[in-house]
Amino acid sequence: MCWAVPAKVVSIDSDVIATVDLGQNTLKKVAIGVDDVKIGDYVMVHAGVIIAKLRKEEVWENIKFISDQIRETAQLLGEDPEEAVKSYLESMKSILEDLGVKSDGR
Amino acid sequence: MDLPKQIEILFRENSALANKISEEISKLAPRVVKKLGLDKIKIMNFCGSHEWTTTHYGLRALMPLEVELIPGPGCPVCVTPSSDIENVIKLAMEGYRVYTFGDVFKLPTVKHYKSGEIGSLAAAKASGADVRIVYSFADAIEEAKKDGKPSVFFGIGFETTAPSYAVLFTKEKVPENLLFYSSLKLTAPAAEYAVQLHKEAKRTPVSGVIGPGHVSTIIGAISWDFFPKKYGIPAVVAGFEPIDILTGVLVILNNLYRGKAEFTNLEYRRVATYKGNIFALENIKVAFNVVDTIWRGIGNIPKSGLTLSEKFKKYDAKTQLGIKEKPWDYDLPPGCKCNEVTLGLAYPTDCPLFMKACTPARPWGPCMVSMEGACAVWARFGSYERIKDAISEVK
Repeated sequence: MCWAVPAKVVSIDSDVIATVDLGQNTLKKVAIGVDDVKIGDYVMVHAGVIIAKLRKEEVWENIKFISDQIRETAQLLGEDPEEAVKSYLESMKSILEDLGVKSDGR
Repeated sequence: MDLPKQIEILFRENSALANKISEEISKLAPRVVKKLGLDKIKIMNFCGSHEWTTTHYGLRALMPLEVELIPGPGCPVCVTPSSDIENVIKLAMEGYRVYTFGDVFKLPTVKHYKSGEIGSLAAAKASGADVRIVYSFADAIEEAKKDGKPSVFFGIGFETTAPSYAVLFTKEKVPENLLFYSSLKLTAPAAEYAVQLHKEAKRTPVSGVIGPGHVSTIIGAISWDFFPKKYGIPAVVAGFEPIDILTGVLVILNNLYRGKAEFTNLEYRRVATYKGNIFALENIKVAFNVVDTIWRGIGNIPKSGLTLSEKFKKYDAKTQLGIKEKPWDYDLPPGCKCNEVTLGLAYPTDCPLFMKACTPARPWGPCMVSMEGACAVWARFGSYERIKDAISEVK
């Protein structure tokens, strides 16, 4: 029940209904549960309602968060924190490139 | 590559990262256990989808012996009281068209076991009642508008589902022939109830909680801040991919090792903001009032439900059709441990009926009905028992 799925907004049909593509051209009419939705937006859809918008930079925020955790854990364990982060970001290389971020995080 | 695919690759398919995080967890866990003087670190989730990810991806097998991941109250279908199902079946048999979600269709009432009465909406349909499964409230509205038949929507769900009803009420899109039977529940009061139970003597207390990502998308990640503040338990709001949960466990262990219970929004920026979806919350506030409500097998939990507000009472099936709510009476089928499973006091495999009298094909208790019920998840994707069996086979 609680698992929202990512979808793309295909059309805005009224003040409260939009059509979204859930993937492979599965189109659904859903209620708009967020402010300011536009055609082409990526959104999370749950039980027939848009509950949030998704942005590319949010994925990068998550990657940064995980690297902070890895750094912190390495410190607690007495290991080299920067080396741990570097190997993590290296493993993320292709995703980071796609997001337009270099693997050293810049 | 589009955004959903990128998320999938990063958080679901990245086994190198999963191994890295689980290694860190394994290194940290023995130190935390020693420091806290506990037999193990119990971490509770509050979402059927978290339980699904944990079991489906075998995350328990990646945990060291010191860490136990337990499911908490996280499945709205499992906790929909028998009295609500009985009331809606009665309406269906009286001639109302009933709309509901597929998960609710097979949900058994407790009366069914005692007297052999029509025991589910599926059985009502088989007896000729007009029961229809819909994808959303919006679909039910469209259909009800077309033919004008007196209808009732059986509205279950947590805070994630509530906006789908709320926006359509506040925007005046609901036709007058469609009444709404609310069985909506709120997760945080039940989560607190479960954690308090574990604090009682002779039980290992819950040392960390993983708050549901998409519920938090609506209510705001900050809604889980009461766990560190009031109970000194680290709380992490996490998404539903394996990496999200593994990272959540690592964050909790870090917190415990440093001796500092904090609240962390792991999902931050990826949909769950601190304050939540203000637009949806405002709509929920206009459309619904918070009330005490009954959770199946558990009883009344204060301020844990939603009912239509005064403004929309003309749509309220209970008020309009004179349905009186009775005090809670124990409402699980004989032998079913669904209440203990829901509260994290027992694993599905602790129930004597699990995979014997109760299977996904023939569910006996409510936790086996919904695909997000802990029993249904364990039945399909394995359990400690299966892991133990696998190990013994190798030996």
